[in-house]
Amino acid sequence: MPKNVLLVDDSSTMRKIISRSLRQAGLDFGEIYEAADGQEALAVLEKETIDIVLSDINMPVMNGIEFLREKNNRPGIKGIPVFMISTETGEDVIGEAKILGAIGALKKPFTPDKVNEVLGPLM
Amino acid sequence: MNNFSKISDKIIESTLEIFTDMVMMEISVIGEPMLRLGALKESISGMIGLAGIHKGVLAVHFPKQVALNVTSNFLGMEVEEINVDVQDAIGEIANMLGGNLKTILSGQGKDIQLSLPSTIYGDEYTFTSQVDVDQIILPFQTPAGVFYVEVELER
Repeated sequence: MPKNVLLVDDSSTMRKIISRSLRQAGLDFGEIYEAADGQEALAVLEKETIDIVLSDINMPVMNGIEFLREKNNRPGIKGIPVFMISTETGEDVIGEAKILGAIGALKKPFTPDKVNEVLGPLM
Repeated sequence: MNNFSKISDKIIESTLEIFTDMVMMEISVIGEPMLRLGALKESISGMIGLAGIHKGVLAVHFPKQVALNVTSNFLGMEVEEINVDVQDAIGEIANMLGGNLKTILSGQGKDIQLSLPSTIYGDEYTFTSQVDVDQIILPFQTPAGVFYVEVELER
């Protein structure tokens, strides 16, 4: 069954590019939902059926690390997998995200081929 | 003193990668790096600040027509005026380059913090630093004209 995806990024351009890349990669996914920061993402997760979250790290209001931490405190949505897509590639930052439950990370910029390679097995 | 030769090479590499992979536009470095840009006319600039063990700013400066062309390619739709889409696209290019600059300066990541990207747009403005900085400006040629990537790091 196709998976519903939540894209979390403060840049509307980047949300469009990630959506386009998912389509170009030929991945089989269901609905795509969008949120501009971690706080909006939590609200979407509480309301909709989301199978996987693709999240930026550097965002206003609630960043990607704070989002992971807060999600872990909410039993109903704690188990939804989160994959980071960010310009942040430092070991400290990505390491912290993984400790908080992130299942992987993709560096911006990326190609549709790269999206297919890293996200394909998750879809 | 910052090692600007290494930084410059990596920023060129990153800029070419961003344009090839995500903007879907072929660009090339044009001419030598510059130290002064002068007044920017009918342009939009995207900026991202760095704080921590290195303090400074990375900025991208696009003349209006180049910004419209780049945004149209980036989003896959025609854009005819500077609007929120253009501001967001130019800010995101600055954001990706800022992330790469952070990686160049610090592999670990936590000892440098990035600001959120911001943009300015106007008929004529200058981009200057108020503190003593090392600075480099890299010109790039696109099909619609030239844009600049500027890095300033506090000495």
